Amino acid sequence: MFAVGYTLIFSILRIINFAHAAIFTLGAYFTYALTGSAFGYNGLLKNSALPIHLPFLLAAVVGAMLAGLVAIVIERLAFRPLRNRGADPLLSLVSSLGVAVVIVNVIQYLVGAENYSYPAQPYGNLPTAINFGLGSQRIPVRTVQIVIFGVSVVIMLLLTYWLNRTKTGKALRAIAEDATTASLLGINTDQLILLTFFLSGMVGGLSGALIGSSVSIAGPYFGISFGLRGLAVIVLGGLGDIPGAIVGGVVLGLAEAFVPVQYIAYKDAVAFAVLFLMLLLRPQGLLGRAELQKV
Amino acid sequence: MAVFFATYGSLIVAMLLAAMLALSLYLPLLAGQLSLASPGFYALGGYVAAIISTRVVPFDSGAQAYIWRMGTHEVARFSGPLYPVSLLIVEMLVAGVLSAVLAIVLGLPALRLRGIYLLLATIAFVQILQVVTQVLDLTGGAIGIFNIPQPFASQLGYAWVVVPLLLLSAGFVYRLERIRIGRAFTAIREDELAAAAMGINLAYHKVLAFTMGAVLAGIVGVISAHSINTWNSRQGTFDAGITYLAFVLIGGSRTFLGPIIGGIVLYALPEVLRGLAAIPGLPLALAQLLKDGRLIMYGLLLVLGTIFFPQGLIRPNLFRHRTVEATPRKIEQQ
Repeated sequence: MFAVGYTLIFSILRIINFAHAAIFTLGAYFTYALTGSAFGYNGLLKNSALPIHLPFLLAAVVGAMLAGLVAIVIERLAFRPLRNRGADPLLSLVSSLGVAVVIVNVIQYLVGAENYSYPAQPYGNLPTAINFGLGSQRIPVRTVQIVIFGVSVVIMLLLTYWLNRTKTGKALRAIAEDATTASLLGINTDQLILLTFFLSGMVGGLSGALIGSSVSIAGPYFGISFGLRGLAVIVLGGLGDIPGAIVGGVVLGLAEAFVPVQYIAYKDAVAFAVLFLMLLLRPQGLLGRAELQKV
Repeated sequence: MAVFFATYGSLIVAMLLAAMLALSLYLPLLAGQLSLASPGFYALGGYVAAIISTRVVPFDSGAQAYIWRMGTHEVARFSGPLYPVSLLIVEMLVAGVLSAVLAIVLGLPALRLRGIYLLLATIAFVQILQVVTQVLDLTGGAIGIFNIPQPFASQLGYAWVVVPLLLLSAGFVYRLERIRIGRAFTAIREDELAAAAMGINLAYHKVLAFTMGAVLAGIVGVISAHSINTWNSRQGTFDAGITYLAFVLIGGSRTFLGPIIGGIVLYALPEVLRGLAAIPGLPLALAQLLKDGRLIMYGLLLVLGTIFFPQGLIRPNLFRHRTVEATPRKIEQQ
C-alpha cells in the first residue's frame, strides 16, 4: 500500500519521489499528534500535545489530508522549478532525496527519535485477532493487518478505476505520455500534477498511520527504511504499475516469511536481494511488458 | 599553530578523506552513471583494514594507549608501539584489489541498467552489504571491530598518507579528464547513443569508471578505519551516500575540483556552525539547529543546489573564459 503512492507519481512523471518515504512518516506523526497523544522527552516540542483528541480513524484521515498538503508544498518548491526547466529526471530524484532528508531530520529535531505507539485499541472494540483456522487448527490473523490489507485493496481499485475510466484519469495518462502535447490540448498539467501529488501524499500518509498502528512508529527514520523496501516492492511490481505494486508487496512479504529459521538474520537483506535480481532479470516488473527505449 | 593542528588534526584528515569520497562518487558520474555504491566500498575497505590489522597480523594493539594532555598541547597522542605504515599500505592495496573485483562483478550486470535503475541497484548493494556485515562473525557482527591499531602517534600523522593520496587521485582524475578514456566518459555522459555510434565501448567504459570510484572508496575506507579506531556496520550507509552526493553536486559535478572542494568545505561546515552556536544571545532553538542540523542543511543544500546550480558551484570555466561565457548568454536572452 505504501508502494502505491510511489507508483502513482512514477506512472505520471517518471520520477522516483524519495520524499514519499518522509511523507509516510509525517502521516504517522500527524495522526499521532491528532489523537492528542503527547510527545516524549527529547526535541523541541517535548511534552506538548494538541488540545484535541480525535478518535484514531478520524485522526488518520485528517493526518493523511495534512500529509497530502505537505506533498503539494513539496511539489511546488522542489519539483516544479526543475520540471519547468526540463531538467534531467535524475536531478528531480536528487532533489527529492534532499527533501526527504530535511523532513526526517526536522521531525527528529522537533519531537526526538523515540518510538511512539498509538493509544490502545485504535479500532474500537474489534478483537485484536481474528481466527481463520478451523477447529483445533487456529490461524489467528491480527485485525490491524486485515484492515491494512482491506484498505490497500480498496485504494488500489479506486485508483485504477480513476486512472482508467474517468476524464481526469485520462488527462493524467495523457500527461504521462507527453506533458507538452497534453498542455497544448488544453489540459491543465500543473494542476493535475498537484492533484497527483496530493493523492499520493494522502495514500502515503494514510499508510503511515495504519502501519504505525500495527507496529508502532519507530522514530523518524521509520519511513526511510520502509521506503527503501518500498522501492523493492515497486520494482518487483513494475515501475508505474498500480496493481503491480500490490502484487509486489504480497510477493515480497511472502518471500520474507519463507526465509529459513537459521538464516533469519539475513531477512532484512531479502528485499534488496530481490530488488537486485529483479533489476537484472526483469526490470519491467512481474506483470509488466518490456518497454521500448525511446531515443 | 601547533595547538590548532593538534586540536583539529582529526578534522583536517576527515575533511581530506571526505574530499576523496566525493571524488569516488564523481568518477562514475563522469561517465553519467549516478551510483550510490561508494559507501558500500568504503565500508568494505574499512573491514579489510580492521580484519587484517586485528586478526591476521600479530600486532598487540592493547599496548597502545591514549594520552590526553591539553596543557602542553598534546591532545590524543598514542603511546606504545605503532602499527607499521608498510602494512597500512598493504591493506590499502588489498582493499583496492578487492573493491575492484567486486565492482567489476557488480558493475557488469548492473551497468546495463540506466539512470534510476542503476541507482536502485547500488542502493540495494549497500543495504545487502550492511545486513551481511551485521550478521557475519568475521566482521564482528552488529558490534563491529574495536581497537584497530594506530600507525601514527597523532591524528595529524595520517596527513602523511592522506595528502599524497589526495594529490595523487586528484592528479589522476585531472589527467583522466584530458585523455582518450576521460573524453569517452564525457561523451557517454552527454549522449550514450551518440557515443556508442562513434564506436565507444559503453560497457567497458562504464564499468571502468565505476571500478575506479570503487577502488578509491575502498582505499579511503582503510584509512578511515585506522583513523577512527573502530569499524561497524553503521559506517557507509545510505545516509552517508546522500552526504557524499551532496558534496559532489554542490561542489560541482563537471570538474574534479568540484567534489574535492565540496567535500572539504561541506565537511567542515557543521563544525563551523557548531562554533557559531556557541555565540551568546542566540535563541535556544536556533543554537540547537546550528548544532544538530547537519543533515537538515545537507538536504536543503541538495534541493536548492539542484534547482539553482544544477552543475554545482565550481564549474570548469569558472577561472577562465569568463568574458567568453558571458557573451552567448546575452545573445540567448535577446
